[in-house]
Amino acid sequence: MEKKPIVEVRDLVAGYGDTLVLDRVSLDVYEGEIIVVIGGSGCGKSTLLKNMVGLLRPVSGAIRYWGKEITFMDEDELARLLQQLGIAFQSGALFNSMTVAENIALPMEEYGHMDPELRDILVGIKLDLVGLSGTGPLMPDELSGGMKKRVGFARAIAMDPRIVFFDEPSTSLDPIIAAGLDKLILEMRHLLGITVFVVTHDLGSIRMIADRIVMLDRGRVIFTGTIADVEKTDVPRVRQFFGREPDKTIEARGVETAPG
Amino acid sequence: MSPAHPTDMDQKPEAAESRRTVIAVPDALSDTGGARLLEEVAGAAASGSRAITLDLAGLKRLDSRGGAWLIRAVRAASAGGARVDLAGARGETAEVIDLLATSFAGSPPPPQRSTGFLDAFGNKAFASWAELGDAWRLTVDAVYWSFIAPFEGKGLRWKALVTELNDTGMRAIGIVSLLNFLLGLVIAMLSAAQASTFGVQIYVASLVVIGFAKELAVIMTGIVVSARTGSAIAAELATMKVYEEIDALKGMGLSVTKFLIAPKVLAILISMPILTAIGFVMGVAGGFVLNAMSLGFTFESWWNQTLQAATIRDLMQGGVKSVCFAVIIVMVGCHNGLRVTGGVRGVGMATTRAVVTDIFLIIVADLFFTTIFYYFL
Repeated sequence: MEKKPIVEVRDLVAGYGDTLVLDRVSLDVYEGEIIVVIGGSGCGKSTLLKNMVGLLRPVSGAIRYWGKEITFMDEDELARLLQQLGIAFQSGALFNSMTVAENIALPMEEYGHMDPELRDILVGIKLDLVGLSGTGPLMPDELSGGMKKRVGFARAIAMDPRIVFFDEPSTSLDPIIAAGLDKLILEMRHLLGITVFVVTHDLGSIRMIADRIVMLDRGRVIFTGTIADVEKTDVPRVRQFFGREPDKTIEARGVETAPG
Repeated sequence: MSPAHPTDMDQKPEAAESRRTVIAVPDALSDTGGARLLEEVAGAAASGSRAITLDLAGLKRLDSRGGAWLIRAVRAASAGGARVDLAGARGETAEVIDLLATSFAGSPPPPQRSTGFLDAFGNKAFASWAELGDAWRLTVDAVYWSFIAPFEGKGLRWKALVTELNDTGMRAIGIVSLLNFLLGLVIAMLSAAQASTFGVQIYVASLVVIGFAKELAVIMTGIVVSARTGSAIAAELATMKVYEEIDALKGMGLSVTKFLIAPKVLAILISMPILTAIGFVMGVAGGFVLNAMSLGFTFESWWNQTLQAATIRDLMQGGVKSVCFAVIIVMVGCHNGLRVTGGVRGVGMATTRAVVTDIFLIIVADLFFTTIFYYFL
């Protein structure tokens, strides 16, 4: 890993209004790796992801893609950057008024005028990849939650992005489908050279796909390393997370995290 | 793997082999390279080649877009009656092709359900009949939970009723007053122009009061309430349905009708006649303002004429209509809200449908009542 990172996050402070959720978070993402950000509920994982893809503007700190700072980008530059990123949202975030195929075809139509026949084949490929062949003409409300999520994944990879962001890819999927999705992530990375940034707390998924793990706790990075490093670490929170041990009482943690 | 279906089953293998064409795939399948490949393959198939081999040895990198071009070429060849073999793929390219195997095999086209005219008509008729049944059951349910259940000790959500009264009644007073007042002005102006040719301007007062008592106040109020409240009811219930809040209520063993619909029914049944009465007064006031300003009558002469013209029967007609319109608005709103399908988009459609149905039914009911009063009472 002596390469130059393609994404650098430096001292990121972010939050909503007066509530700060991230406290000086720094991390690097290298080309072709699968980086997994973990942490308990409410630790700021999703906020980090939203800041990294420009959905939220940070309070302070820097986020650089290939050396370019996104917080200084204007809308056009950000749009050009986002074309190279794919985002798979937690519950799919499909457009309800469009069919599955139209959902996936949307970025293809909006960016770059693609021949309709080629586009249809490409939509078919993406659906085949996520195991949903033939669902193109269905409307999103005819799909189950797991299927919506997979269509969301298909839409995220529609444009062959260089980096794909996943918000909780395996939550609410059955173990077989979840494992299939993990396998697909590995294959896509291997074959298409995609860099993958995953936010999750699914232990099975973490063990299967993670090249590198970043753990957040109460808005701070408390651990960075491989799955092998996890076994050796003595950071108590990490050991607790991977050991699936509960807090002593739920109240105790509530008091700790209460603001002020 | 042999991605294309054999289309030359009846031919002898040697014959097919003799017409085999080998096409080398370029090192990268960009859009230009892909288009050229497609042309070559289609050309080969058209010139009678029954078997085409795509030589992938030169292909260095294959992304999904390149894969799409390959699939398109294979399909074009199959359509031209040739079978295609992919050969010589190496390393990652071969793995990508394996990954895309299902796509090469081609997913079958979705079954097309043919619907003829009679089919469509029949389906529509059955759907309408079923919907009428649903609406009827909902209405019976609503009547029970609004008027009978509270007396059986099953309770009523008083707090919700007060909130609904405020939303559907109090907060509508301003707009109902204003619109009826303006309508009163308009009617008075229109009729004054006619009356003045006969010198009977004083009858404008009668016309306005009778018109508003029987018809204008209630129809104006009905339309305002259906646009304000009918749409709000449909949108609220539809959103609750989409976000599974309705299911949550049912799952707790609570009656949706008691919880959500009964307060709305009672509130609108109370507020609609009151709003109509306010609308009536404001409309008549609008008529007076024009009388006083432009026709030069005193308050007294106008008041006498008005009292002479207005009868209890006219007021009753408006009152009966207002109660009927209230029932239409609340039931149409609830029914459309609860039958929403199609997620978020359905919410907008349910709301539109509710308001359109409201206004249609209001006009139809208006015609019905006016006819009854005109011919029979």
